[in-house]
Amino acid sequence: MKSYFAIQIKITARKFLDLGVHPILGVLLILVGFIAFSEYLFRQISFAGYLFAFVSLTFTSSLSAQKRNDFLQLCFPEKRYKLLRTIENFLTTMPFVIFLIYKQNFLLAFILLFISVIFAWSNFRTNLNFTLPTPFHRKPFEFIVGFRRTILLLIGAIFIEFIALSVNNFNLGIFALALVFLIVLTFYTQPENEIFVWNFVVSPTQFLLSKIKIALIFSSLLSLPFVATLITFYPEKYPIILATWLIGFMLIITIILAKYAAYPSEMNLPEGIVIALGLSFPPLLLIFAPYFYFKAIQKLKPYLP
Amino acid sequence: MIEIKNLKKSFGNKQVLNQINIQFAPGKVYGIVGENGAGKTTLFRCIAGLEVFEGEIHATKSPLKNHLGLLFTDPFFFPKLTGKEYIQLLCNAREIDLHDIDTRNIFDLPLNQYASTYSTGMKKKLAITAILLQKNDYFILDEPFNGVDIQSNIIITEIIHKLKELGKIVLISSHIFSTLSATCDEIHLLKEGEIIRSVEKPEFEILENEMKEIIMENRIDRLGLK
Repeated sequence: MKSYFAIQIKITARKFLDLGVHPILGVLLILVGFIAFSEYLFRQISFAGYLFAFVSLTFTSSLSAQKRNDFLQLCFPEKRYKLLRTIENFLTTMPFVIFLIYKQNFLLAFILLFISVIFAWSNFRTNLNFTLPTPFHRKPFEFIVGFRRTILLLIGAIFIEFIALSVNNFNLGIFALALVFLIVLTFYTQPENEIFVWNFVVSPTQFLLSKIKIALIFSSLLSLPFVATLITFYPEKYPIILATWLIGFMLIITIILAKYAAYPSEMNLPEGIVIALGLSFPPLLLIFAPYFYFKAIQKLKPYLP
Repeated sequence: MIEIKNLKKSFGNKQVLNQINIQFAPGKVYGIVGENGAGKTTLFRCIAGLEVFEGEIHATKSPLKNHLGLLFTDPFFFPKLTGKEYIQLLCNAREIDLHDIDTRNIFDLPLNQYASTYSTGMKKKLAITAILLQKNDYFILDEPFNGVDIQSNIIITEIIHKLKELGKIVLISSHIFSTLSATCDEIHLLKEGEIIRSVEKPEFEILENEMKEIIMENRIDRLGLK
């Protein structure tokens, strides 16, 4: 079992190295980011604890995927397998539990730990004969795949919006709208297999424009209900709502361009830093987007001559 | 027509393809055979324009890649994308407007299920269906019969015959010689990045026997089975 965790540490270290970050620095960055984000969340949102628990359980449930657990069960005897899974879930949940204890939310911390241990003993069957319908079927693939992958998060965003309106918290409503855009950004973080770019019969410029057009139409479709509700309830704050919407669109354009600027590799640390800078000061996106555009054209040329 | 002149490809110091000169004519099916690592997939990737190479590759319909249906040995599928959506994606990429996918589902695949949950054979059949619906003129089929059931093998053989009839160019790689003799007009033997033998239909049996000799040597004897 020791060797199993040693391998996990090696894999994690390699992931950091692939991103161009020293593993120790990577862990430190994640730790600082986690603390800063958690602190921000608890200051801004009154029910942050529940959101926090939801995020934590999303992480631990991903470890219960069927194929992964079938493999582990083949590798280890039953008792060791259960112990290993319990330790895994315990370690994954601990940062969240510690933070909840720090915030003196003892009951939620205990419940979270309890559920995560239950999760360790369950094996989520993902091969259910059910296909989640989406409104994006004419233009696969990013929104179809992303929508199905993040459906729980999207439902979470709707829930937050609902809470925001019921407690009359405009900032929370804006957070829900921003969350939708953050979810959409995740649709574009991974490079697709080269065959799905190679197959296109258009120039790199047309390819990028078509990707951006589809992304803008579909993200409008996802975010419009949030925008419409906020404008209905807070008509006087329409400039903030529209500005958030606009920034969301700009971020989507930038991430698409950044993705293909790194293609066929994954986006690396420099692209990540640029996106983070854009998030903190959106006007910078107006400079970054053209830079990524020209780089993306070069990277796509071998596939779309 | 596809014409390959002086094609060379290396990965670092390793020469994978060396001086490949070959022509592929319309209405003909070509088999490419060779051991694992002989360079078959690299040759296909060069023809598709997925690798940078030395030499020239010309096709009557240009750019070649826009008229090429490419089936890899192990096609990639996105998770959470149904069979129908996969076909739609590949047809959209080629600007083919397709409305009747269900009627063209000749392998009776469960098109509304996620493609990533399909068996190996079903995935291959889905990928073949998609490149056929793209209305290509050239086809590269890397191991099209691998993992596919016997009924579908018969269908795929008939599809290749139909493509030949329609004047398409089809390149096939397979490790099962009988499937190649049933479908190909010419077979090219690739060894260590070079085409060492090219034969037409009447000589297929001779080539198969030669290959047996080249491949087997005294391997079985070395096992010392008694």
